[in-house]
Amino acid sequence: MDEKTIKEYLNRCSKCGGCMAACPLFAETQMEPLVARGKLFLIKNYLDGNLDLSKKMMELMSLCLLCKACTDQCPNSIPVDQLVLSIRQEIAQHKGISFVKKNIFQHFLQNNGRLNIAAKMANLYQRSGLQWLVRKSGILGLLGRDLAKKEKLLPEMAKVPFRAQVPKLISVSNPQMRVAYYTGCVTNYVFPQTGHAVLEILRNHSLEVVIPEQWCCGIPALASGDEGSTVELAKKNIKAFQEAGVDYIITDCASCGSMLHEYADLIGSGDAHFFADKVVDLSQFLAEVVDFTPGDKEIGCVVTYHDPCHLNRGQGVREAPRKLLKSLPGVIFKEMKEADRCCGAAGSFNLTYYDLANKVGHRKVCNIKDTGANVVTTECPSCIMQIRHLIELEQIPVEVTHLAELISKSYGGVS
Amino acid sequence: MISNKVIEIIMKIVGDENVITSKEERLCYAYDSTPNAFLPDLVVRPGSTEEVQSIVRLANEHRFPLIPRGTGTGLSGGSLPVMGGVVMDLTRMDKILEIDEENLVAVVEAGVITYKLQEEVEARGLFYPPDPGSLKTSTIGGNVAENAGGPRAFKYGVTRDYVLGLEVVTPEGEIVSVGGKTVKSVTGYDLIRLYTGSEGTLGIITKIYLRLIPKPEAKKTMMVSFPRLDDAARSVTEIIKRGIIPVTLEIMDDRTIQCVENHKKMGLPLDVEAILIIEVDGPRLLLDGQAQLIAELCQNNGAQQVRIAETDEEREKIWAARRAVSAAVVQIKPTKISEDIAVPRMAIPEMVRRLKEIARRYQLDLVIFGHAGDGNLHPNILCDQRDHDEMQRVEKAIGELFKAAVELGGTLSGEHGIGTMKAPYLKLEIGEAGYDVMMKIKKALDPNNILNPGKIFWSENNG
Ligand SMILES: Cc1cc2nc3c(=O)[nH]c(=O)nc-3n(C[C@H](O)[C@H](O)[C@H](O)COP(=O)(O)OP(=O)(O)OC[C@H]3O[C@@H](n4cnc5c(N)ncnc54)[C@H](O)[C@@H]3O)c2cc1C
Ligand code: SF4
Ligand code: SF4
Repeated sequence: MDEKTIKEYLNRCSKCGGCMAACPLFAETQMEPLVARGKLFLIKNYLDGNLDLSKKMMELMSLCLLCKACTDQCPNSIPVDQLVLSIRQEIAQHKGISFVKKNIFQHFLQNNGRLNIAAKMANLYQRSGLQWLVRKSGILGLLGRDLAKKEKLLPEMAKVPFRAQVPKLISVSNPQMRVAYYTGCVTNYVFPQTGHAVLEILRNHSLEVVIPEQWCCGIPALASGDEGSTVELAKKNIKAFQEAGVDYIITDCASCGSMLHEYADLIGSGDAHFFADKVVDLSQFLAEVVDFTPGDKEIGCVVTYHDPCHLNRGQGVREAPRKLLKSLPGVIFKEMKEADRCCGAAGSFNLTYYDLANKVGHRKVCNIKDTGANVVTTECPSCIMQIRHLIELEQIPVEVTHLAELISKSYGGVS
Repeated sequence: MISNKVIEIIMKIVGDENVITSKEERLCYAYDSTPNAFLPDLVVRPGSTEEVQSIVRLANEHRFPLIPRGTGTGLSGGSLPVMGGVVMDLTRMDKILEIDEENLVAVVEAGVITYKLQEEVEARGLFYPPDPGSLKTSTIGGNVAENAGGPRAFKYGVTRDYVLGLEVVTPEGEIVSVGGKTVKSVTGYDLIRLYTGSEGTLGIITKIYLRLIPKPEAKKTMMVSFPRLDDAARSVTEIIKRGIIPVTLEIMDDRTIQCVENHKKMGLPLDVEAILIIEVDGPRLLLDGQAQLIAELCQNNGAQQVRIAETDEEREKIWAARRAVSAAVVQIKPTKISEDIAVPRMAIPEMVRRLKEIARRYQLDLVIFGHAGDGNLHPNILCDQRDHDEMQRVEKAIGELFKAAVELGGTLSGEHGIGTMKAPYLKLEIGEAGYDVMMKIKKALDPNNILNPGKIFWSENNG
């Protein structure tokens, strides 16, 4: 976003305070600098030359879930998340980003070979007993107050990445359509079972599926202000999927999905628009593009649904997942209070601001508990990790699963 | 400026984490919902009445200004630190202490969000009627300090009508408790009324006893359009004469209607001078009859169209049009100067005519909406803060608009308070003698001029 557009938006903030009622961070802290109105005023002061990119400023700009709840409430529809991202980019340009992040965004994410090796190492760390030793020894506890707890937030890596487990083309007889599957990093490296469930569902709808070589969507880099790396990744993905020649590009991750949609504005080329137009969230695809038919195996559960910010407000998908859940055999759907409220994951926000993210998440867990459901589904792997972590901490007997995995159970589950 | 030594003492009182010193964070307490901002020297977030008291005493000892603040949604500049000093953010004191269902009283700390209280009492079949447009974000303390009103005020009154008791830390640091759980009380001067609407200049409100009433069983809403403004005003009078007191009688002028329709197609008529949104509440059985009677009265008085909401969905649609106003009007120009005059009900058409004439003369964009039942109009001037020439014209127009309101027997502010924005015009309404009485009260209670200096009373340096 260029400076003129940013200023135009900033000028539209009437400081009415409407965003205070929506912002999860404000609800937990009542701190004006954390709410949209405060952040916009800070950005305005920075652009007017009254503030530097001080440490405090950097901290305050990192304290945003990018959940878009404020924008939803704002009478002037100010895209606060986009403005915060613009400043993060400014910060990255002027102050640089950390050595570690730079390495990850500019080298690892751009190179699937290295990423696979890293994931393997992580898996090795977890399986070799080293993780057990580290956790038991209390070394992490010595390093920092929350480090020990945070380490539990880190997911267990899959032994073999999902994309290495499946062929690049999965054909069926008499396919009704050819689609591509964008697996996202988390499904690929952490939750391959989600990927298998997605394939199972697509197979049951007679769809030919292509899984081209693909890269991280770029959202982690963008959230840290490294737009350059995101652009590189976007270009690679656009090219890869162009060659796949498909009608739709299906995602199972809310964050990836919304990022892929944003390629259109980010890159701006005809190809980018062509690509972005094809991207569709799994539930929306099932509910609106194909004639969704669940399997006939009784699942037997009471289920509730959490709206990922990047699916609900990010892509406007609200009814589709509910429609699917309600049509599953043996499933009772219970709507939770504030289903569309952020769970606190927000990329790596929960690692950086562990306690605050848990406070935000606690409200989510309470709302889940109040429904009496024994399963909570959603469509974003990072939401799943966050909610699962909190449910374990608070010891609630609720299973957290991806919508696709629940649906696939109706076909008898993934072998 | 405030010395490091004093900051350290304040930190001891409330804890380090509740004192804000960085410029970045202080900037976020420099503003309210007006377009102005003044950087405070410090922000403190006390958690108890005793902490508030200690800080007030310290302020007297070291002579720094203290500015009470709720959530900063004020529309008259009340919580702006115009002379620097320490902003006292009261949002940590956010406990609902008691909801006494037998005596119909709620006891709350000052920082409770209005909506939170309403949710809690309504879950018990009770009702706290004051409903400022900001209710989802404003604090009860701020509501009491501004004596906030809202659309329901015509039938149910304003915040003042619900305050039964207060705990206040005086400007010199004493804790005073007045009133309590009884509806009647005539012991000495009516201090509750003095503190209510005192805009943080006479004391810091820490605890509030609020009167509750049973929740009305049902409501019915309708939208009526009038080709002529005078007919709308006359209809309102006719309705009231027939013994019906609607909860709300919201009015929108032609320019407001156009803005809403341009922003969101809602099917509002564009060839009328005014729309009234009328809502009645009470026992379900009575409402259909009342709605019919209102419809007839309006039709006999020149209404073009009457739309009665039969379902929740239709009711929602009608209110959506009213709610769309604030977003719709800023599409024209980014800065919105909201005024808040009130005139005797029958003077509304004349007031609207004068407002339009003033806007024309100063070439300004003006929309008018408000609460027709109590003659409280919100003329909103739409302008661009960056256009200095325009802002000067706005300034002049506002002066004239106040003069017109007072000439018609009205008041500068129906509900938003005087703050800094209207301070220069106060004498226009209350005269020298009235000003003098108020000033004497302020000086007697706050001899060191600690609490919220520069508000209500005009001085050269309060911008
Ligand atoms: C969109 C919008 C709609 C609005 N609609 C209405 C409406 O319909 N009716 C209406 O009346 N107002 C309305 N307002 C104005 C405003 O919301 C009210 O004046 C509200 O009461 C302010 O509450 P606050 O907590 O934000 O107080 P602040 O803005 O923080 O403070 C307001 C004043 O009260 C003082 N104060 C705050 N707390 C205390 C305390 N505990 N003790 C002593 N002094 C204190 C401050 O010093 C200041 O002078 C609206 C505002 C907005 C932005
Ligand atoms: S709701 Fe929008 S306009 Fe109002 S204060 Fe927040 S960001 Fe500004
Ligand atoms: S995006 Fe979310 S966290 Fe960030 S300011 Fe808006 S509501 Fe708050």
